Amino acid sequence: MKTVRRAWAELVESFRIAFGALTGARLRTFLTTLGIVIGVSTVIAIVAIIQGLDRSFEEQIQFLGAHTLYVDRQPWIQSDDTWWMYRNRKKITVTELRAVQRESQVAVSVAPMVTTRGKVALGGVELESVVIRGTTEEYLNANGGSVQAGRFLVASDVELARPALVLGTDVMDRLFPGEPATAVVGKKVLVAGRPFQVVGVLERQGQLLGMPLDNVAVMPYPSFGRIFGAQRNMVLSVAAPPGKIADLESELTPILRRARHVLPGKPDDFVFNRQEQFLKLYKQLTGALYGMAVGVGLITLIVGGIGIMNIMLVSVHERTREIGVRRALGARRSTILMQFLIESAAVAALGGALGTAVGLGVAQLVALLSPLAAAATPSAVLFGIAFSTATGLIFGIWPAWRAANLDPVEALRYE
Amino acid sequence: MTEAPLISVENLTRLYKVGEEEVRALDGVSFDVRRGEWVAVVGQSGSGKSTLMNLIGALDTPSGGSYRINGNDVEKMSDDQLADLRNTEIGFVFQTFQLLSRSTALANVELPLVYRGLPRKERKEKAVKALEAVGLGNRMHHKPNELSGGQRQRVAIARALVGNPSLLLADEPTGNLDSATGEEIIRLFGELNLRGHTILLVTHEPRLAARCPRAIRLSDGKVVADGPGAEVASLGAPPAHVPQAGAAA
Repeated sequence: MKTVRRAWAELVESFRIAFGALTGARLRTFLTTLGIVIGVSTVIAIVAIIQGLDRSFEEQIQFLGAHTLYVDRQPWIQSDDTWWMYRNRKKITVTELRAVQRESQVAVSVAPMVTTRGKVALGGVELESVVIRGTTEEYLNANGGSVQAGRFLVASDVELARPALVLGTDVMDRLFPGEPATAVVGKKVLVAGRPFQVVGVLERQGQLLGMPLDNVAVMPYPSFGRIFGAQRNMVLSVAAPPGKIADLESELTPILRRARHVLPGKPDDFVFNRQEQFLKLYKQLTGALYGMAVGVGLITLIVGGIGIMNIMLVSVHERTREIGVRRALGARRSTILMQFLIESAAVAALGGALGTAVGLGVAQLVALLSPLAAAATPSAVLFGIAFSTATGLIFGIWPAWRAANLDPVEALRYE
Repeated sequence: MTEAPLISVENLTRLYKVGEEEVRALDGVSFDVRRGEWVAVVGQSGSGKSTLMNLIGALDTPSGGSYRINGNDVEKMSDDQLADLRNTEIGFVFQTFQLLSRSTALANVELPLVYRGLPRKERKEKAVKALEAVGLGNRMHHKPNELSGGQRQRVAIARALVGNPSLLLADEPTGNLDSATGEEIIRLFGELNLRGHTILLVTHEPRLAARCPRAIRLSDGKVVADGPGAEVASLGAPPAHVPQAGAAA
């Protein structure tokens, strides 16, 4: 009980001394913390920006669907020297679509996609290079998304190869400036010179890695075939029930191999693309950034820590007599050690807090002035302060140890 | 019959290494101090009196011999035990006051009680009492640089007394004061002695030693005289008109 009370009294006294020392020499305190402030603020800013990127990226790839496989000839992400391998592969056609529709038990929805770029025109307005996509009524089920006005394609549109068209919002906005989506439904437009009727307008989807997703016009794939040719490569979007995407992949592999007559022992000539691949690539990129942030942070914390150590050594030197007096009045070595450790930790914590504030400010500024987003998590703030405090403790050990081991007689006599 | 002495120093030796040579700063010093005594340790610089003060103050440990204070065998103690002993048994008064400049008089006086682990309220009560006892009840919230030299030394004395130590150890307490203020401080010591405090006063001034009921003269690390202050002070010193110890017990 007595030792606890004594430890408590000494702890309170140490904080009081630290506070007095820090406020007594404000300029020095500020300059001492500067290294830590710069280090912590840099790391906090970088981390906040990366976390902001994470969030916006995750939002962007939502439309790809976490439970959807995209069956294609080539992977989304490939290295430069392999593209020819994929180009020579057999196209994916209606044959594979029918096979999957017929045989898959796991799939909840299958939609084909044929895509090209073409002209969409209305009166004098002519849009070049709109993404034109042929599909079926299953498109939204397999890919996600919804219509904001009118309807999506229906089965009869596909069976009868009707000239029905669902517009993305970018296309609508440019063809019918200022008109509400409901007013656009029913209008006639020309796709590659052929008349189509707008039956619906999609919800806005935003962009993926800078590519706009709303510059699109969707039609039945047989209608697409009549204009652009039926021999185009298809991509099949196949949706699995939640958590069953691996099952779906292992079920589809033999179905597709049979449909494409892949001989036993030969490798698959098709791939399953999925959202996860983007995530993986993205994580690799930001992983490197995180590594850099950690590296920068460590280096600046070490530099800041050395600054603190330096100032603490000066402080111990200046206060040699004070240390002698305290020892004469009954302070133990451990008391002096604690006093100086708390002081260096307090300087560093102050620097950490300041650095966190500056870092968050910089991140907000970057978010305001650039398209980058910034998000600060409480954990980042906590880490910033905790790490700087730890730095203060570690780099305070040597000065504190020196203070604690001063000879009281020498210290009292010191001028 | 006789009560055990408060301080018992026997054959105390302290060696220093200066380069290759060994210097005997203290060379077999022995004496006792009883409770309630006021003893001066006098000697010229280099006589070993500072070394003796450091040993008796438990700031340093002897090379040989033994030292007991209030039943504690100091020469066997660990560093932490020495710190605790300084805290409870000894009240230091230094020539240069040694107050913490950033702290108020009150905080300075409270400090020994902080290291004793007393609750804040009790600390404050005792510190206020100690300051009032040295006549500084109205200067408690001043910092040392707002006080005169005499007032600073009074604060230091209050700090030395606040923990109710068994020994008041004063090292040239008037050395940095003008003679009038020095006189006040010596009178204060006299009063404290009358109230029962045991005082060991280290000085190089025979004039001061002569005011103490008892004095020990050191020379070359040895005790060369131990007796009534006036007698010891006049030994080897140029004959002078020294005032007699008036207020001594």
